[in-house]
Amino acid sequence: MKRLAAALVALGLSLSPAAAADKLTVLLDWFVNPDHAPLVIAKQNGLFEKHGLDVELVEPADPNAPPRLVGAKQADVAVTYQPNLYLQVQEGVPVVRFGTLVDTPLNSLLVLKDGPVKSIADLKGKKVGYSISGFEDALMGVMLENAGLSAKDVEMVNVNFALTQALMAKQVDGVIGAFRNFEPTQVKIAGGTSTVFFPEEHGVPLYDELIYVAHKDSLGDDRLKRFLAAGQEATVQLLNHPEESWKAFTKAYPKLDDELNTAAWAATLPRFAKQPGLLDRARYEGFGAFMKERGLITAAPALDSFAVEIR
Amino acid sequence: MNLRLPAPAASVLRAIVTAAVLLSAWWAGIKLFGPPPFILPGPERVFAAILKNHVYLFDNALVTLQEILLGLFAGTVLGVSAALLVASSETMRRWLLPLLVLSQVLPVFAIAPLLVVWFGYGLASKIVMTTIIIFFPITSAFQDGLRRTDPGLLDLARLHGASRLQTLRLLKVPSALPSLASGLRVAIAAAPIGAVVGEWVGASSGLGYVMLNANARAQTDVLFAALLILGLVAAVLWFTLDAALARLIPWSDDRRPS
Repeated sequence: MKRLAAALVALGLSLSPAAAADKLTVLLDWFVNPDHAPLVIAKQNGLFEKHGLDVELVEPADPNAPPRLVGAKQADVAVTYQPNLYLQVQEGVPVVRFGTLVDTPLNSLLVLKDGPVKSIADLKGKKVGYSISGFEDALMGVMLENAGLSAKDVEMVNVNFALTQALMAKQVDGVIGAFRNFEPTQVKIAGGTSTVFFPEEHGVPLYDELIYVAHKDSLGDDRLKRFLAAGQEATVQLLNHPEESWKAFTKAYPKLDDELNTAAWAATLPRFAKQPGLLDRARYEGFGAFMKERGLITAAPALDSFAVEIR
Repeated sequence: MNLRLPAPAASVLRAIVTAAVLLSAWWAGIKLFGPPPFILPGPERVFAAILKNHVYLFDNALVTLQEILLGLFAGTVLGVSAALLVASSETMRRWLLPLLVLSQVLPVFAIAPLLVVWFGYGLASKIVMTTIIIFFPITSAFQDGLRRTDPGLLDLARLHGASRLQTLRLLKVPSALPSLASGLRVAIAAAPIGAVVGEWVGASSGLGYVMLNANARAQTDVLFAALLILGLVAAVLWFTLDAALARLIPWSDDRRPS
């Protein structure tokens, strides 16, 4: 009888944490890197657990796949980009933005400092490399027009993921789609120095670089609310204790403890959304109008159909 | 059974029947499993995408076709030369063959980004990529053919005092041409892969570029449209080459009973 009771207690002990924690699969936009710090810290420091979540972070093979996988109910949450959300919604992918990870653009135009390009206007007749995101024509177009040029003045070349290599090998005179918190350090490590042009300083409306999307049928799911709460607490820890957080981050991903990611860590911290659940309606509507004006979407969809606040 | 059609008409009919069966299976699959169109679009969506984007798709298909043809040409010249070199002596064969095999084991996908940095983002890197992919089947098949010349004929040639060059030109090469033709058939089926891999790692046009762009914009129908056109281009190339080879090397045609 005693043994049975002990077994039951043991069973109860082993079951209770598992029963309390709800599984949640999060598809990242890229390999784990400092952009995902709040998620890694929330997992590493037990914040997800505190909110009863057992979160699995999954790295994608293709940065464009996660929203579609969530749309097909293969995962719960995807990390994606605000500009791409409009394209996905237009193609009928049933996803809705419910949170923000990084609330400024990270995208930037990078040129070599000792090269011929000192201002965007100097790009006339030059080559710009990009990594296909579906959005670079619009980004580059506006930046060029802002400098008195037109899209025809620059030759755009897809260099896939080799942005830094293409720039350093002087195959191109500039690259767009470079993340301001990574590529400048990468150029530095490769022995160069770069100048960064920020899209939002050259005519592109502000947008959220990294957002969370979920299937539109799952917006009532309580797990999403808890996911955001844990993310917000993690961001507070990150900002208040950057050193300890970096230690926790590299403990979870020892491979990332290098020069590039150390620099990226410092450059990324100020970019995280301090209130991940907040929705800036004017920003989302304005960006929709911008996407339509640049011919990327045929009509700006109603805001509530693709971006919400869950409170 | 007196329904026999003339050969070209019969092959056109076969192509139509095959296409119809495949399309019906695709359509039925969509109806049966109902996947959302952003995962797998139905044929009607893909044809609508082709109609809507026909100029864009056609222009980019031309780019890819050009890369395939130039790559095929370069790969064939290189492959045939390598085969002649390998077949020229047993010593050459022992030294060169391992190198050729090694060139084939390299995963092109892994070195593709480097090729682009070396040869630039234009046509050259795609031609190099296609050449790398196809030259081995050609070399392998042709040198195999060169080694299989009827020994009786070779003895006869030696008896008549034929020079090495004469033996090669009049006996070895003609009897190896059917093998070369098999190599070419493999090559032409693989060539589009080379061109598309090249476009994948860096290009501003071509069907591979169209697919990447459509993927980034969640336009699965355009992606499938590009795939369909690539398949069509490859099929037309293959059957054209097959027919041309059958005509140029009639002694290779073992399908027709003599």
